[in-house]
Amino acid sequence: MVIDGLPAEFVLGRGGKPPAREMMESMPYTQSLLAGCRAVGYHAKAAPPTVTMPRLKAMVSGAIGGFLDVALNFNTQAFLDDNILDQLHTIGYKLVMLGDETWIKLFPTLFYRQDGVSSFYVKDTVEVDFNVSRHLESELAAKDWDALILHYLGLDHVGHIGGRQSNLMTPKLKEMDDVIRRIHAAVTSIQDNSHRTLLVVVSDHGMTEVGNHGGSSYEETDSLALFIGHSVESSHCSPYDQKEALQVDLAPTLALLFGIPIPKNNIGVLLPELFNSLADDQKLRTLELNSWQILRLLQKQRPAFCSEDCVDSKDDFGADMLPESTEKKLCRLLSKAFASHRSSLLHRDSNFRSVEAAGLFGAAVDSYSGFLRHASEWLSHRATDKPLYLLASAISLMIISCFSLAGIISCIFKGPPQIKVEHHSELDLDKNWHLDEVFILMGIFLYVASLGSSSFVEEEQYIWHFLTSTLYLIFLIKTVQSILKESNSTLVHRSETKTFHKNNSSYLASYKLIPGQQDGCKLYTVLIVLVAGRILRAWYQGGINWVHFPDISKILNQSDSSIVKSLQTISVLAVVVLYSVSLMLLRTRRILIIGLWLSHLSCGLLVMLHIWKSQVDTSVPINNHSTTSIAQIFYVIASISVTCTFLLSPWIFPTHSKEAEPTSSSGSNPEKAHGLNHSVFLTGVTYTMFWCLLQLLLQQPINAVPVLLILLQIISSVIYFSLEKSLHRQWVQGCRNAILGNDRPLWPWEHQ
Amino acid sequence: MGAEVTQVSAFTAVLAHALCLAGLAAAHSLAGRGALLSDPAHALRLLVVCEAPLVIVVFSLLRRDPKRCSFLKAAARGLLGLPIGAFLNAFGAIVLGAPVGIKYWIATTYWSCLMSLFTFVPAACVFGASKVDWQNVLSHSIYGTSSNVADYMISAPSHGAVIGAWLGAWPMPLDWERPWQVKILTATF
Repeated sequence: MVIDGLPAEFVLGRGGKPPAREMMESMPYTQSLLAGCRAVGYHAKAAPPTVTMPRLKAMVSGAIGGFLDVALNFNTQAFLDDNILDQLHTIGYKLVMLGDETWIKLFPTLFYRQDGVSSFYVKDTVEVDFNVSRHLESELAAKDWDALILHYLGLDHVGHIGGRQSNLMTPKLKEMDDVIRRIHAAVTSIQDNSHRTLLVVVSDHGMTEVGNHGGSSYEETDSLALFIGHSVESSHCSPYDQKEALQVDLAPTLALLFGIPIPKNNIGVLLPELFNSLADDQKLRTLELNSWQILRLLQKQRPAFCSEDCVDSKDDFGADMLPESTEKKLCRLLSKAFASHRSSLLHRDSNFRSVEAAGLFGAAVDSYSGFLRHASEWLSHRATDKPLYLLASAISLMIISCFSLAGIISCIFKGPPQIKVEHHSELDLDKNWHLDEVFILMGIFLYVASLGSSSFVEEEQYIWHFLTSTLYLIFLIKTVQSILKESNSTLVHRSETKTFHKNNSSYLASYKLIPGQQDGCKLYTVLIVLVAGRILRAWYQGGINWVHFPDISKILNQSDSSIVKSLQTISVLAVVVLYSVSLMLLRTRRILIIGLWLSHLSCGLLVMLHIWKSQVDTSVPINNHSTTSIAQIFYVIASISVTCTFLLSPWIFPTHSKEAEPTSSSGSNPEKAHGLNHSVFLTGVTYTMFWCLLQLLLQQPINAVPVLLILLQIISSVIYFSLEKSLHRQWVQGCRNAILGNDRPLWPWEHQ
Repeated sequence: MGAEVTQVSAFTAVLAHALCLAGLAAAHSLAGRGALLSDPAHALRLLVVCEAPLVIVVFSLLRRDPKRCSFLKAAARGLLGLPIGAFLNAFGAIVLGAPVGIKYWIATTYWSCLMSLFTFVPAACVFGASKVDWQNVLSHSIYGTSSNVADYMISAPSHGAVIGAWLGAWPMPLDWERPWQVKILTATF
């Protein structure tokens, strides 16, 4: 029975002390088993990455995988290595699997019966376990299977939602305890089977304080291995001792208990307390089998390992004086173990038992255990050894290629000579590096460097917000600078601006704003972007470490639903108004424009209707027919409008102007450019506004205002850059877009 | 502006900054060890109270045109510039993510006053309201082109203070769990 994400601390305590009182009270049956010496629990240390699939593989095969398995976690493939499940299947066992569908992905054709549960819906803590437990009664009553695998995901999901201290944790632990009780009751009620049945409760990994896992901290690697069965019972025990083991020790232990071959690549060591019911020579045999298997692995790594017998008769003393290599030490221990084992077998065959036999037995056990422990350690280090030279050369190659790319790009940008005069504005700034360009480059390097620290990766959204806000503060400074310059030299510029605007294809400049108004406009747009960005940052306290701090969404969640609804309505109204204003800027009275405006208005009304019909704070989706039909009508209208805009807008804006332009020496190109500009503007703004309405329809109610704020940011940025055409290069705008866009997906937004 | 403009020598500039630094050190030692950690608002207030008169006096003495505007007028300009600069610095800090809340605003106020003492007030005392000089402060193109010591004296510390505060915000997400990793404190340091 795999309980995903259960730290061993919850059941076994830590450092020799029993667990906290709430933990003990939430798993009463299990604690009674431990106290009554009918169960043995281990702190089975898991190797990183502490993610489910690699840990399951390690549990069944005894081999430690690497981090590459995490990349395969999303597209798990069948497990082809030697493992205990395949061995059980080979001897004819019928295996039943109920729980996480990762097992089915690992073993597609192995199970006699199976019911996989998807692990992707992290918010669900009830159904995932109910889907497993609903089969429990029938499976416990059935007699046609030999091994039952249960994998409960609920506890892991509880941890991800609320951390270790979540108030869902205690009921979930009680539920798991109840399952253990049911299984144990069923096992002990069957008279002939109870001696041959073992209940193994394991967890694949632990969890940090906030409920995450994947790393190598103590809390994450502290997984449980609890054995409940007749062979484990003893008369006296100390259940809360810190019994340490490795998670890979599970495979050889189970293999030897069930009499199947130990998986080939196993590096685990059997757990001795579970073999208490065996006779001495049987115990020695199990140790011998485990040692042979590990010896084979060692010989694969080092073909010349222990090829000659190196038993030293003087090795009882003085062996530790000389420092010896690990290989020699392992070889010595193994040879000693074999020798003692052989001697004790000889003594067994003879007719008398003596203290000597017991002494030889003890020596054999000690030598075997020493060899196994050291060999296991050595092999697990080998598995995670990194070839330093390969790594260093690969990284330096990457850095060289990065710099070459940067060099090539800068050559391209500086290369083609400026033929057309209008590329240069009056301000000859093309040769100097601006502060914003320097900052963008530096910001990209800073961000990439910050990815090296896991703390920065956890709080990545703050870094994006920080860099974006700094960039816009730099824009603000530039705007203030140009305001100061403008007020210094107003007379000189005014005569130039008129000709400047004629050639400028900026859309808003066609309104012939005077420079003072332009600068004021730019100032307001940058301020809007900054303030909206700050409010957005305060909306969700994301990341890992500061999630529990208050933020606006938490306040809204607790407040009255009418406040949230009114905020939603305001957002919808704002979007509709913004679209009307932008359509009015086009200053044409074509039917298409009016039609678009009407369809947008009707979509806005549909969204408002949807808001008022749906409830705010239920998480279960309502099977309300009218809201679905509202949504469907919305989809139809929106998709028709957007498609019409895209197809028809080039036709409505004339490419040949009918107005007389006496001084248009450049021919019909500006007019064509104007027409194309208008249609691109119309398509873009229509698409954006309909997308906003779609988001307002689909997102959670408390996310309505963020959608509006993002729209404001986008519009302000577009306005700012259309007024700034002279001062910034194209790639600054591109970077700005990319950075703004990157800021958004890092928030935990959910759809209804 | 045909008035006389006093040229400030490099030595005077260094002396001025040394005085301000001395005042800062004195205020810090007055506040006691670790006062910034245990009671940031109190320590910041002490720093502001100690540093403000020193900065205003020193930079009013170094004002650009001593004939046209008296010492008191320059000092008044500096005092006026203090809240304005504080507001601008607070706005910048909040936009970059400083917490907005009742229990934070006292510390934020004192911090922004301290920052404006380094960024805004010297310029207000020395330059007054002349637009050309403010332009020079804002732009970075004076580095390397201007030979006027006064420009450097004002621009370099203010740019440095802003950049230092910006860089000081970076250690915050690191999970070293030190008490000085509260936002304002790292920026102050």
